[in-house]
Amino acid sequence: MWDIDARSVRESCEKFLYTEAQLLDDRDLLEWHETIITDDIEYRIPIRTTKERSAETEFSDESFHMIEDWGSLKVRVERMENDFAWSEDPPSRNRRFVSNVRVTDENPENAEVSIRSNLLIHRLRASDTDPDLLSAERRDTLRRVDGSWQLTERTVLLDHTVIGTPSLSIIL
Amino acid sequence: MAQNRSGGTGGSRSSIDSKLERMADALEEGEALLEILHDDEVFERELEEIFAKSWVYIGHESEIPEEGDYRQRSIGKDPFIFVRDENGEVQVLWDSCRHRGTKLCRAEKGNTTHFRCPYHGWTYRNTGELVGVPQKGNGFPDLDMEEKGLHGAPNVESYNGLVFASLDPDAPDLETYLGPSAWYLDLYFKLADMEVIGDPHRWEIDTDWKTPSENFYGDNYHVPMGHKSAIDVGIGSATAKGEKESELYAISDVGGHAFSIYQIPGEDFFWGHPPEVTETFHPERLTDEQYQIARQSGVSLGTIFPNLSFIYLGGSDDPEKDTVGTFCLRQWQPIEPGKMEAWNWIMAPKDAPQEYKDRVYEVGVGTFSLSGNFEVDDIGIWDGIPEAADSVFAEQVNATTVFSMGRGEDTLAEVDDSWPGPGTVYREGGMTDENQLEFYRKWHQTISEAH
Repeated sequence: MWDIDARSVRESCEKFLYTEAQLLDDRDLLEWHETIITDDIEYRIPIRTTKERSAETEFSDESFHMIEDWGSLKVRVERMENDFAWSEDPPSRNRRFVSNVRVTDENPENAEVSIRSNLLIHRLRASDTDPDLLSAERRDTLRRVDGSWQLTERTVLLDHTVIGTPSLSIIL
Repeated sequence: MAQNRSGGTGGSRSSIDSKLERMADALEEGEALLEILHDDEVFERELEEIFAKSWVYIGHESEIPEEGDYRQRSIGKDPFIFVRDENGEVQVLWDSCRHRGTKLCRAEKGNTTHFRCPYHGWTYRNTGELVGVPQKGNGFPDLDMEEKGLHGAPNVESYNGLVFASLDPDAPDLETYLGPSAWYLDLYFKLADMEVIGDPHRWEIDTDWKTPSENFYGDNYHVPMGHKSAIDVGIGSATAKGEKESELYAISDVGGHAFSIYQIPGEDFFWGHPPEVTETFHPERLTDEQYQIARQSGVSLGTIFPNLSFIYLGGSDDPEKDTVGTFCLRQWQPIEPGKMEAWNWIMAPKDAPQEYKDRVYEVGVGTFSLSGNFEVDDIGIWDGIPEAADSVFAEQVNATTVFSMGRGEDTLAEVDDSWPGPGTVYREGGMTDENQLEFYRKWHQTISEAH
């Protein structure tokens, strides 16, 4: 029904996330923008605050580290390619570890699948020996477009309230 | 980050007194001492003489709208609770139980009528009053409950919703501290009722808190080089992109604080707000002179000493979308020598349509935030400064940073005597460092005062 080249939907989603991670780790940002996301993408990283356990959620529904659509992501990607983008020149070295992929909802009617995965980004600059680490859960919706998955919705749920890296000049 | 050895024993580094003397000499020449941007003794004295003596920003009243709403805040490195008490009054309470010192506030934000210590259960009303001591009759029959309420900041005042506190019992009132700066703050906080959207961005940066404070005093010289990538992709303000004819004014001599204001002659620009937003403004709250400046304002920025900055930007996060007026308020919190935590609150006019406020927020994130297309390049540059400041060689060569732009014959910046507001005001404000010198003079004066 999904027309996937894999033993399971989960495995095909995993493959997609690994391909995406490779593009981002390799800083192939224009290709990421062209091939990975749909033009109606909703991409957000909500701000987290420490709250009492009785609170429904620690994540804000009105404040974000990134709140993006296709156009604003295009701006970010194009800026990062600019010769004067000092935050990434020399570039930070980022390695994304993607794991614990699980399919939470399958909706073949609109060709979409909801998945969750864990993300660890190991980030080094210059001669750093202590990495900046970013740990998060991603909640993604993928859509089947011309026989391939594309990302149509992503919420990155960080484990951090204070972010221990100086700038988010990378895509999570 | 390398350890600073200046506070250690057996080192050959000079004392803080020598540094402050050399700083005084440097200021005479329009320069500042590089070493103060990464130094243990300087940092400790800043906590004692600057953060514990000045009026320090705590938060905006819109962050705690309801009785019982609270937020964790800090003055320097000292923990405080910013809370609206059961009487509707704003309190700034030191977050430490009077019994054994435990922090009472374990969440960054929430709503409560009481703070109860998790250690032995001492309980305080959100006014700070001690109202519960378990086993009091058996254990503390003579304890004076009234005397053991939470310590509050000795001075707390609000200016148009911005709450400041001073830990100095002898501090002048806030109006005196802000001085002529209030004339300018009125443009941003009185013309419209502003509100904070959501929670602040918080992130750690390996640079000294003074570097961004000074930058927001008016380092307009760095924009064409430092922010070229963002301007190239077309998301800068109309003035930065050269689409509007404008003049940049640098304003100093307003009580030790400073501002930079773009003016677009004859235009109702209002920092990029459209008419449906500006019609919710309150021109009657300003003088005609203030209103005239507000109406022609493009990008505006400034710092209230020591560490509260803002930028008001008419811009977008995407050249295909409309420009909106985005206000980013930020505080540069000292963490340790050469390291700080940035706090960034995005604000919008309270009475603007919700859809517009959502766009204000998105543009704020896309321009000035942890991921902001402008901000990220500042950070990428600033984090190299502490390493140089900590160099042994810095002292050997008496390394200074240069703030002499605009001095001497035939420089472009010149004082504009026709400016209607207070202060010393320079045209071609991107071509003078007088604003940033004001920061370092204020810093030097404040840190030296008690000694």
